[in-house]
Amino acid sequence: MTGVAPATLLDPSVLARIGDLSLLARTVVDGFLHGLHRSLRIGSSFDFAEHRAYQPGDDLRRIDWRLFGRTDKYFLKTYEADTNADVLFVLDVSASMDYGAGPLTKFGYGRALIASLAWLSQRQGDRVGLVTIGGDLVDVVPSSTRHLQLLLHTLARAVPGGEGRLPTGLERVARFRGRSGVVVLVSDCYEEPAVLERSLGGLRARGHDVIVFHLLSPAERDLPWESAVTLEDAESGARLPFLPDVLRPRYQALLAEHQQALRDGLARNRVDYVPVSTDQPLDGALHAYLDRRMLATRMR
Amino acid sequence: MGLGFLLPAFLAGMAALAIPVLLHLRQREREKPQAFPSLMFLSRIPIRTAQRRRITDWPLLLLRAIALALLVAAFARPLFRRAVGAGSSATRSVVVLMDRSLSMGHRESWQAAEDSALAVVAGLGSNDRVAVVAFDEEATVPQPFTLDHAAAAAVIRSLRPGARGTRYASAWRAARQLLDRDSTSRAELVLVSDLQKSGSAPGSAGALPPGAALRVVPVGPASPANTAVSAIDLERRPGAGRGEVVVAARIRSYALPAPRRVHITMTLGGRERGQREVTLPVDGSTRVAFDPVPLPEGNLPLTVSVDPDALSADDVMHAVVPADAAQRVILVLPPSAPPGETMFLERALAIGNDPQITIERRVTGVLDPATLRGVAAVIFYDVAPPGGSAGAALSAWVNAGGGVIVAAGERLAVRGFDGSFVPGRLRGLADRSAERGGTLGAVVEEHPVFSAFRGSGIAALSAAHFFRYPRVEAATGSQVLARFDDDLPALVERRDGLGRVLLAALPLNNEAGDFPRQAAFLPLVRRLVLHAAGSTSGSPWEITGEAWRPSVAIPDLVVAAPSGALERPDSAHGGALLLEESGIYSAYSVRASGVPAALVAANPPRAESDLTRLPREELLLGVSDADTSRASRHVATAEELEQRQQVWRWLLLVAALLLLIESWLVGRGWRARPGRTIIVPDGGVS
Repeated sequence: MTGVAPATLLDPSVLARIGDLSLLARTVVDGFLHGLHRSLRIGSSFDFAEHRAYQPGDDLRRIDWRLFGRTDKYFLKTYEADTNADVLFVLDVSASMDYGAGPLTKFGYGRALIASLAWLSQRQGDRVGLVTIGGDLVDVVPSSTRHLQLLLHTLARAVPGGEGRLPTGLERVARFRGRSGVVVLVSDCYEEPAVLERSLGGLRARGHDVIVFHLLSPAERDLPWESAVTLEDAESGARLPFLPDVLRPRYQALLAEHQQALRDGLARNRVDYVPVSTDQPLDGALHAYLDRRMLATRMR
Repeated sequence: MGLGFLLPAFLAGMAALAIPVLLHLRQREREKPQAFPSLMFLSRIPIRTAQRRRITDWPLLLLRAIALALLVAAFARPLFRRAVGAGSSATRSVVVLMDRSLSMGHRESWQAAEDSALAVVAGLGSNDRVAVVAFDEEATVPQPFTLDHAAAAAVIRSLRPGARGTRYASAWRAARQLLDRDSTSRAELVLVSDLQKSGSAPGSAGALPPGAALRVVPVGPASPANTAVSAIDLERRPGAGRGEVVVAARIRSYALPAPRRVHITMTLGGRERGQREVTLPVDGSTRVAFDPVPLPEGNLPLTVSVDPDALSADDVMHAVVPADAAQRVILVLPPSAPPGETMFLERALAIGNDPQITIERRVTGVLDPATLRGVAAVIFYDVAPPGGSAGAALSAWVNAGGGVIVAAGERLAVRGFDGSFVPGRLRGLADRSAERGGTLGAVVEEHPVFSAFRGSGIAALSAAHFFRYPRVEAATGSQVLARFDDDLPALVERRDGLGRVLLAALPLNNEAGDFPRQAAFLPLVRRLVLHAAGSTSGSPWEITGEAWRPSVAIPDLVVAAPSGALERPDSAHGGALLLEESGIYSAYSVRASGVPAALVAANPPRAESDLTRLPREELLLGVSDADTSRASRHVATAEELEQRQQVWRWLLLVAALLLLIESWLVGRGWRARPGRTIIVPDGGVS
């Protein structure tokens, strides 16, 4: 990567040319961190909470020697966010995700995003896991500090296709996932907002922090066709004639309504909703994730 | 004025019309559906669609297609063809084609035909010319073009149905010849016929005169119901005296309304010799056999008749029962020939009695005229025919109707022979033993010698293998009837006067080949000998329209036709007589009295009995409008030709104009909306 500004790798057009997810994720995260100022956000422990008495078995490096000098007693400094979190990435692999205006489809973008987030989480000592959802749960990688490579491998061989049933998959995730943590959903959210809200609400009820990355391709947002075309649903195969001049404004209005409904509904359930366009660099999504990650770990 | 093309081959370029259609289809291909993640939102928008396909696309497609068609037509050089004589004369040339075949003798046909033809003549204008053609299998012109309509009517009244078959092609040909000599006005053919289907044989449709209009006047019965005697079989049986013959007849019925009970009568030599009563099926053939009758002393006429119906001419069938059909054949052998060498040949000839062949063996010796008297054929088996005075006598005998077969074998192949009597030369011996023998490679199937093998072709003969045979070189004027597979002649024939000489290189013994052990051996050698003897037909009757020549020399031949008319066949035509009538022809010497020297029966072709009518459309489909000679009679000037061809310039001009319009339309965004479906939100206005 010599001679290439790391930040450049966050550009989707560059991401599309990197096949190795591991390399991609590492490069993206390094580039992302390189562009950040040193911040309290970084590090496994960054916010002092209190002192506690030393107990046999504690790490001697964490003894506050200054306090020992004053009190002649051993105390350990404890910090907020001192514990590692469980992060489960959920990727929608339905056929609708296999769409994009250029070489990078929503699926490809989502895969790069999860790989980068997983890499970032791993650097912070989190346990990372993965679930892909199509018509049902397709692949499941349980959360573990050692599952990053397995996660990347599973991501690499995932293939989008079929009709998606995201709510069903999310409900199953909620059922089998016992330990609370962070659930990151990457999907194009072609579901009724109320249904999705109910499914994600189930995760929230079980103590998970949920962040939803709603992927949209510029083409499906802007509908670039200048003349009449027939559109075919990627999942159901249904066809509809489309005349841009007439239908584009109505479509975009409906799409905006949909996004607003998602935003409002998920906010009611304290689920973070992050709309992401696949022509945007990844750093915006990474920032949003880190914000949510900080909130999730701000506990003792 | 008609339209033609100087270069019609260019019209094949019309296939280019597919190009705009394909372009059109390609436009449609572009409208393959676009994949889209989800129609979740679009499906919520109520729309209605309106097809505007024809309004947006078809005008362009038509423009392109028409422009291309005009271009192709221009390259084909269209030519306006003026009708010959048009404008110069309003007269007509009408050819009345009268069918006079046997079937027109039907009770309901001839009078109607005559009346129709007379009505056509009566309807002609005073300036209209008329000609009359009478046709059956051949056509004659009893009345060339004339303005004398009364004369034409008289000719029509004089015509009578004959005894021959129908062939429409002969009528077209005669009409073409008539109109080729006529340089005036419009030509019109009026066909007065019962439109018998059998007259339009495949491949013999012929062509109408160019530019002539054809009017068909169908006459004849509405129903093709008919009965006919279709064949007579003669079976000889040994018996007391000369033996006896069993006569059997086949009666054919066509489309009868119901089974018909009929009487069948057999008459031999003018005396009724048998009668049968049978019920004929509605459609089919019935065989009726009569009691055996003693073979007559001389040739006797035989007649089998069935109760007459509306077409009586085919209710009688004639045949000739030969008195003693035994054919005397002299077999000349070389002195060195072992006794069994010709066993197969002699046995094959001795088998069968239709006719019987009696063999007289001779070891060379003199064949003087006295010896040859009454002999049908002489076979020189591997021995050369005599020369000198004996050879001259033999040659004279052949000229008078005798037949000679020179069966060349290994002996003759070595020695050869002199003179030109034999229709070929021998050039040594071909030895095919090493290759397990040669076979026959080709035969003239139409020749009477191979009549027994017609239909099966050479297959029946190719089973025989010939190990050694003479290399024959056919003489000039001879006909090679069969060849070996190495292309050497196997059988050569030359006619000498009334007789014939054949040179056979086919080994007829069991040593030089296995031919005698093959099934084809017996029928072939019998046919060969009977053909040499001049008795090749084997049939007790001939078909009307065929030429007949007595098999024996009859000095100063006079023939009495069935109608009683006497004819003297022209010796310039080989003494052959055309059998025009149905019945028994009697041949006499010098005068037609006493016992005839020969008899022959003539019957019309059996196809004439089938009265099934040819639909008028099929008749017209079968003929073509040949278009060369008549049009070429009018020689146009260069200016006229140029004027008649200049339409191509206009076609090019119009095509260019259309293409310009098309380009302009496309440039103006005629297809600004390539999509063919217009979507209108529900409640909106398109």
